Amino acid sequence: MAQSLWSKGLSFSKRWWPRQSEWALVVAIGLAVVFTAVVDSNHSYYTQPLESLRDIARNTALLGIFALGAAVVIIAGGIDLSSGSMIALSGTVCATTMLALAPAEVMSFKPVGPLIVAAACGASLVTGFVVGTLHAWLITVVRLPPFIATLATLVGLRSFARAICESSTAALTPTKSALINVADPLFKTVRDNVWIPVAVFLLLAAFTWLLLARTVLGRHLQALGGNEQAARLAGIRTDNVKWFAYCFGAMTAALAGLFYVANEAVAAPVNQGRGHELNAIAAAVVGGCSLSGGVGTVPGTVLGAVFLRVVIDAVSKLIKTGADVYEGLIVGIVVVLAVTFAQAGGSPRPDRRLLPGSLGLCTIPILALVVGSLTGMTMGGRAGIVTGVTTGVLLSALRIWESRQQAAGRRQAPAAPSGMQR
Amino acid sequence: MSSGAPIAVAMRGITKRFPGVIALDGVTLEVERGELHAICGENGAGKSTLMKILSGVESPDAGQLEVDGVPVQFSGTRAAEAAGIAIIHQELALVEELSVAANVLLGREPRTRLGLRDEAASRRRAADLLQSLESTIDPACRTGSLRVGDQQLVEIAKALSLDASIIVMDEPTSALTEAESARLERTITRLREQGRTILYISHKMDEVFRLADRITVLRDGQHVRTVTRRDTTPAQVTGWMVGREIAGHAFHQSRQPGPPVLEVEGLCLSASEPGRSDRLRDVSFTVHAGEILGIAGLMGAGRTEILETIFGATTANWSGTIRLGGQMVRFGHPREACRAGLAMVTEDRKRLGLFGNLDVAGNVSLCQLSEVVRGGLLSRHAEADLVAGPIKQTGVKTPSIRAAITGLSGGNQQKCIISRWLLTQPRVLLLDDPTRGIDVGAKAELYALIDQLCRDGLAVVLTSSELPELLTLSDRVLVLSEGRVSKELSRAEATEQRIMAAATAG
Repeated sequence: MAQSLWSKGLSFSKRWWPRQSEWALVVAIGLAVVFTAVVDSNHSYYTQPLESLRDIARNTALLGIFALGAAVVIIAGGIDLSSGSMIALSGTVCATTMLALAPAEVMSFKPVGPLIVAAACGASLVTGFVVGTLHAWLITVVRLPPFIATLATLVGLRSFARAICESSTAALTPTKSALINVADPLFKTVRDNVWIPVAVFLLLAAFTWLLLARTVLGRHLQALGGNEQAARLAGIRTDNVKWFAYCFGAMTAALAGLFYVANEAVAAPVNQGRGHELNAIAAAVVGGCSLSGGVGTVPGTVLGAVFLRVVIDAVSKLIKTGADVYEGLIVGIVVVLAVTFAQAGGSPRPDRRLLPGSLGLCTIPILALVVGSLTGMTMGGRAGIVTGVTTGVLLSALRIWESRQQAAGRRQAPAAPSGMQR
Repeated sequence: MSSGAPIAVAMRGITKRFPGVIALDGVTLEVERGELHAICGENGAGKSTLMKILSGVESPDAGQLEVDGVPVQFSGTRAAEAAGIAIIHQELALVEELSVAANVLLGREPRTRLGLRDEAASRRRAADLLQSLESTIDPACRTGSLRVGDQQLVEIAKALSLDASIIVMDEPTSALTEAESARLERTITRLREQGRTILYISHKMDEVFRLADRITVLRDGQHVRTVTRRDTTPAQVTGWMVGREIAGHAFHQSRQPGPPVLEVEGLCLSASEPGRSDRLRDVSFTVHAGEILGIAGLMGAGRTEILETIFGATTANWSGTIRLGGQMVRFGHPREACRAGLAMVTEDRKRLGLFGNLDVAGNVSLCQLSEVVRGGLLSRHAEADLVAGPIKQTGVKTPSIRAAITGLSGGNQQKCIISRWLLTQPRVLLLDDPTRGIDVGAKAELYALIDQLCRDGLAVVLTSSELPELLTLSDRVLVLSEGRVSKELSRAEATEQRIMAAATAG
């Protein structure tokens, strides 16, 4: 009886049809672009469409490459906080290898040759594998929680990268330096041709999608993230699956590190990639990955990365000067809103209140202050006061409405089934 | 029958559903002020759920709760405590990292005039309460460092600290020694002298008949009857607890056991923590093809540990020999056991068996994914073809093989997990309490399925917390007591009384 309902055609088409949350992201991206195009007083999306597209594409590709790694780790039920530092270490290893193999050329900004560049890039990727293996060992053998293990490498790897940079420059060049310039034309080609990082990102996305959706290992990653104990009892070598996940995470960060070096023509372990691990996790989470593991898709993560970069770009177009100051704030707000909407879409609870009790009361002026001061700083004092007060009034009205609803709900139907906890 | 005392607690038509199972079905119960009312029933009868509703942990889907004649609706345990109801949970609800005193007064910490916590006062208060339980636990020591029995006493002291007029005790002696149980009984007597009402959940008949004024029997979420103790006998109450019709069907008849498949000899498993006794001691048994071996035992007797050790799922040290089809085996990981032809359906379906993030097909195909690889990639068509067979064989009812497994009932979820293991074509099937939390109808279907698998030549090892289940299915019953085999009974010899006697033998 049930078998007759399995229409293979149905399941096939459903598989290719993006989920609802992914459509929502596509719409949100579209809205952000249209909004920026209209509101931006320079109209740069009209006047310089190619330049704008190139900026967004490059930034998205760089973020997306290691966001895919972060997504795989998160889907496997772990977390990798170290990718920002891994980017710095990868760049440093790459530059140091070139410096060691061809010190004269590197110092005089001459080409070092494709063989040496390949060796340098290979060394970076191997470093990614080494770091991933270290993570897996710390987590599965030493039994550290993933958060702690990768927190340790988050601080440790950057310091290590700086030490490598300083000691190698001290040994191989006349002066000790905190950065190594990279002037090889191959890197310049990558910098000038945005399609290269974009193509690498798309290829990696296709590979990751295939891995998760269509391979045994991908299914095992999902099973591990969904229920680790059950996965082990079902005969899955969970330690090996984790090993793969953390290596994938670290190696994608290493790959991204090479592009950062190409982009900035320098390996600068002090600042390169600093804080980027959180952007990657944010892209994965906005794209629908659940931090409790087992849930998440590649298309979602790609769209999450695009959305994050489009919004950041919109802010820089609207604010003109010093927009990078607001980048963290934007990422924070986007994550809160996206995850809130994703949760609300999953299980609508009629009895849920946004501003309950004294906590809700305290939150009203805080939200009003945040909105007001943000508008004030970007659009002038008067606008700030107006939006702040308006926000306060609207939230107060919501609070009063919610209290009334609850009082009404209490009066009628005493034995109404409440939202069941699962 | 009624002594005419006022009604302290009344529950009318209480119904509670969990996904896939009705835990309580219109249960009505009245408890008089000052009585000790025992609630009896098998595992899964709904005793604990009823008490959770009374103490505000769960809210009922339908029905009315009254305390002293006033309808109430508890939004949480705090509300129930305010109405004078305290519960001693079966599962310990203690914060292990905090001191005993801090746990006893958690959420109601005494304060000094400056508003700081008054450690001295809370220790004094905790010490007084523990003394009333005749216990010498130091209130300052870390709760996690105590034995389970002592932790249970802390839990009891916590409930007493509320000074509640109605106290619910959910199997309070399950972790206590004889001496501790006797002390608890003396405390209960004192509480009753103070006029408190006690609801006492237990399936230990001797306790119930020593303490109770009245006894209520629940079965499969339904109220069977309430009687005064004087008017009944333990045998009668046990009969009401068990008396289900499907228990009458004996599946074991006319099964023909084949050659021995799994032989276990001298299995010992060391303790999970130093200082505790070994979890398994010298366990030996043999299972034949086409035979079901039942393993009985109380909670913590080592039923699960036996299966996990055989399956290579334990990380602790163990000794002994295991032969599979005459070959010595020693599995270091469940994967090796799976390869060698063992399959294990785990005890706690949700925690150890199901993947809520995978669909029905994904849950079933998980152990045989290599069979659906085409050109290095998983083929969804091949996967659908692969899982169709076992899903049909086990009779899973699902709208589609791509449906979310969390939407299925408990019985269908369990059939999916059995399907997963059937795909590996095992020689031995280890079933750890396979019908826990499954409603009666689905149980009967699972029994028929297990019987059929056995007739097809599979060797089955079955553990269960329900004796009727073991008696219905097993050819032989192995009874465990504290990690040792205390008795092996053939089907002809096995009765509930004999199994119980062997399970509680020291």
